[in-house]
Amino acid sequence: MAQPPQISSVKMPDASVAPAARARRASRFNLPFLVVVALLVGYGLLVVWSAVANDADYSFSRQAAGAAAGAVLMLVLWHVDYRRLGEMWPVFLAVNVALILSPHIPGLGTDAGMGAMSWIKVGIQVQPGEFAKVTVVLMAASLVARYGGKLDRAGEYAKVLGILLVPFLCVMTQPDLGTGLVYLFIAAMALVMGGARPKFLVVTLVAGVLAIAAVFLVDEFVFKYETSPGVYEYKLLKNYQRNRLLVFLNPDADVTGEGWNLKQAQIAIGSGGLFGKGLLNATQSTHGFLPEAPTDFIFCVLAEELGFLGVAALLALYVALLLLCFRIAASSGDLFGMLIVMCIVGMWLFQILENIGMTCGLMPITGIPLPFVSYGSSFMVVNFMMLGLIGSVWRCNNAKGKKDGYAASH
Amino acid sequence: MAAAILAALGAAVAVIVGVAVVFAVRSRRDVPHAGQKKEVRQLDTVGVGSSAALGSARRGPKGTDVHVPSGHEPARKPADSLKARFAAVGVFAAAVFGTLAAKLWSMQILASGTYADEAQENLYTTVSTPAPRGYLCDADGTALVKNRASLTILADPDAADDRDVVQRLSTVLGVPVGVVRARMKDASGGAQSQRVVASDARLRDVAFISEHADAFPGISVQTRTVRDYPYGALAAHVLGYVGTATADQLEAAAEGSGLESGDDVGQSGLEMRYDSLLAGDHGQRRMVVDAQGNVVEVVSETQPSKGSDVYLTIKAPVQYVVDRALAALVAPEEGVIGTGKGVAAAAVVMDARDGGIVAMGSYPTFDPSTFVGGIPDDVWELYSTDEAHVPLLNRATDGLYAAASTFKAFSGLAALEHGFADAARTWDCTGSWDGFETGAPQKCWLHTGHGTITFREGIVNSCDTVFYEIAKNFFFAGETQGGPLSDTALQEAIMRYRFGEKTGIDLPGESTGRVPTPQWKAEYFRDAPAAAKWQGGDLTNLVIGQGDVLVTPLQMAVAYGGIATGRIMKPHLLKEVRNATGDVVLEFQPEVVDEPDVDPQHLATVRDALHGVIQDSASLSAMFAGQGIDAAGKTGTAEHADNSGDDAWFACYAPYDDPKYVVACVVEHGGGGSAVAAPLAAEIMGAVMAADAGTLDVAAGRIAGSTGKQVEKLDLSSATGARTD
Repeated sequence: MAQPPQISSVKMPDASVAPAARARRASRFNLPFLVVVALLVGYGLLVVWSAVANDADYSFSRQAAGAAAGAVLMLVLWHVDYRRLGEMWPVFLAVNVALILSPHIPGLGTDAGMGAMSWIKVGIQVQPGEFAKVTVVLMAASLVARYGGKLDRAGEYAKVLGILLVPFLCVMTQPDLGTGLVYLFIAAMALVMGGARPKFLVVTLVAGVLAIAAVFLVDEFVFKYETSPGVYEYKLLKNYQRNRLLVFLNPDADVTGEGWNLKQAQIAIGSGGLFGKGLLNATQSTHGFLPEAPTDFIFCVLAEELGFLGVAALLALYVALLLLCFRIAASSGDLFGMLIVMCIVGMWLFQILENIGMTCGLMPITGIPLPFVSYGSSFMVVNFMMLGLIGSVWRCNNAKGKKDGYAASH
Repeated sequence: MAAAILAALGAAVAVIVGVAVVFAVRSRRDVPHAGQKKEVRQLDTVGVGSSAALGSARRGPKGTDVHVPSGHEPARKPADSLKARFAAVGVFAAAVFGTLAAKLWSMQILASGTYADEAQENLYTTVSTPAPRGYLCDADGTALVKNRASLTILADPDAADDRDVVQRLSTVLGVPVGVVRARMKDASGGAQSQRVVASDARLRDVAFISEHADAFPGISVQTRTVRDYPYGALAAHVLGYVGTATADQLEAAAEGSGLESGDDVGQSGLEMRYDSLLAGDHGQRRMVVDAQGNVVEVVSETQPSKGSDVYLTIKAPVQYVVDRALAALVAPEEGVIGTGKGVAAAAVVMDARDGGIVAMGSYPTFDPSTFVGGIPDDVWELYSTDEAHVPLLNRATDGLYAAASTFKAFSGLAALEHGFADAARTWDCTGSWDGFETGAPQKCWLHTGHGTITFREGIVNSCDTVFYEIAKNFFFAGETQGGPLSDTALQEAIMRYRFGEKTGIDLPGESTGRVPTPQWKAEYFRDAPAAAKWQGGDLTNLVIGQGDVLVTPLQMAVAYGGIATGRIMKPHLLKEVRNATGDVVLEFQPEVVDEPDVDPQHLATVRDALHGVIQDSASLSAMFAGQGIDAAGKTGTAEHADNSGDDAWFACYAPYDDPKYVVACVVEHGGGGSAVAAPLAAEIMGAVMAADAGTLDVAAGRIAGSTGKQVEKLDLSSATGARTD
């Protein structure tokens, strides 16, 4: 925000004008970053195009429109100074709660036939929990940044942890465990990178594990009830959630329900081989063996059609993106900016791990989309907003760095 | 699998490394944390609050071009103090990507082939179209078992979960809800197979279901080919019945036999014996199918080919006479057992020249058409009661009876051979015989005695005393008694006519029968040594076909064929096999099992005696003369120790001078052989001779299955002690 006047105020020799202008353009847009993003988004759109080509339930143009809208939003955020948002965590908290709980408003919310109240209808159907990821990142970063990289008092830590858990608890009312886990991972990244004492982190981790165990035990001994003879239902964890965990632990247990999904996903991936079957030639998804092929299981379509080479290309693009993000975070001049970038890195990292991991049986199945690839325009727009935030962090700090460098050279 | 384990190990190692790095970070972090001052300084430089302050502070001197000295810059980056945490996140990210890449490598490169096969398996589905079975025809080409189309209502495996569908089906078909549900839940054909709700459904019901398809989700109608029996229970035991292949049969099916779940398989009789010939080749449709089972495209299709037709030596009209006569004898009044003679009966008609079975009947019988689509529970229960007398049992091949006096032809031949009898010798029958001086004399059936009697008269009048003497001679000629002969010389002579072993007929489940020997007795009574000793009484029982002797009617027919022609023929039912285009692909060749080494003189003597059995008896000769036949034969009346009614036997062959056919029949608990079995044999022999001459004016008709009923108080007393032969 303050850069242009600064730069213009610098007196430069005439001969330096042209290179300086180039440097300015370059400093406004991080070229390697944008190239990687463009490749990733283009690759994702290609796979979505292939996955939805023969499926009337999905529309490629809607996905492309989402990407276009996202790109515009990214550019807008790129030019916003993130530091303005620095102390606004209470606002983000309120926005989060409002967004995440909005599907519960009668007449507005809908479960879109998927079982969880995760959608609202405002002309088009959107998933506010998706958009809340942006505000969760901002909230976590601004909240933790206040402690200046040393969150080592138990009381403060507990307070921060409590506030960070609010979005998770809200989203579990829908319920949407997948999104909730993303929130948790963002919070964990903020705590780790925000300098929370390792002891606190370990205690929190242990407490989390115990809480999961407690949920199972309480379910088993308190909330178990029989819906019909021999069929049991639980109150805390739904049966499908339990099934997913059981299938994860023992994939051969049942191949008709959840296990069948996993089995088909693995067949799709494995049958791709080294070179894949070629675009539009995925037999597993086009013949309906893959459930949710364009959304949560899009990775299987990619793996089946483009093989291990295609998979490796995607992973390489992700690695490149994350490395660039690391660099931006490391060069950030303030903790808030660094935390924003690292929270986003953590979010993507977790989504990549969970989405790809579940399709190849390394993780339990949850509905988490694959960044820049999965079908869904809300999701696309949100990821572009994240890119915009990262761009903002880079621009604010990098431009300064460039200028400093230039000043130093004089 | 190994690759997966490797990948898992890799992931585990990565996680461990990550954790180790976190701890390393922690130990390194502890040092800067210790310095209270430094924290304060950091707070000033990197905190958000201070950052904002710094921002405004920067704005102040912006015109001066003076900034924080570049030398201080590294210290101002918050990342610098958190380098170790960056490293930890970096290691975590590396572990994530490393693990994913390793796992995907193992799946897409190492195990790719397996997954590719599974994807192919998903993509293509091969559906078999059942092939119609071949017909079973009689010797003249009359189809005894045909096929017909049957409308079958099928349910998908999970359709039973829909209560409304079950209810509607019950209403439409008029079958109780519980029964419909039970049929829909019957997974005997395989968990994924469609279940038969109703076979042979009425066209009306099928039309209703088809018109209201949306009210019957998961219900489909299929036209299946099922067995059709134009003559009902005619030759039911010979033909057998078919049923859906059981799990055991599927497992036992030979490689390449093409037997599939849901196929009909012969479960008894010729359907079972010649299943591989009768079963056709499945048609196959190879299709691309989506996950919902919708056919996307048919890749290839081959039509099913009908199985071969099997032509039998059975002559349907003769078989009809046999089945009708047996039913009329045992259960003349409304098919209720006890209203006629005995409780069961069996008859075998064999061509003595080539062993072809012309007719084979067993009563009570069953109608295989009621077994189409599975034996109904009520029929199964009915046939399982004692009153039904095992209708599924083929008594002609599996029924075991004491041979009684029909055995005398063979023990007589043995006596002639070993010189214990000849045409000139005479015996003295007083009606009571105690040749072993046990003090417990054995009786001749004629308690008043036959007086002085020759060998021929002994057979004609069925005098037991003559044969007791013969048995006594054999006993004392045995080596155990210091004689020159084997202890089993009599049995060996008898067994030349193939008693005590299977005849080799082309039917499953044939019984072996038994000719007792000292060795058998020792084995049989090994737990009761006192009863295990071979005694003279065993031989005197054996010689008249009583005691422990067990034979089947088929064995009897084969043996009398041996007497008639001098050759033991292998009995057979298959005449020829014709393929779908009508060409004969297999023809049965008569097989001579043995030509017993018997002196032709002796054989002539016995044949003459058997001729005399009929010719010298006013009643018997009248029976056969009435049919215009010159036959030779022998009666038998097998007494049961518990006086439960004698089994009536008659075995004969005709014509006497040029034997063509043998008939053997038995009536279980029917009474005396000449009174009960002989008329039956005469009627049957008359029919087969007439058929042979082309003058049989009976056409094959429908035979009813057993009702499974019996008179309330079964009285067999009239059939006890009625022996006159």
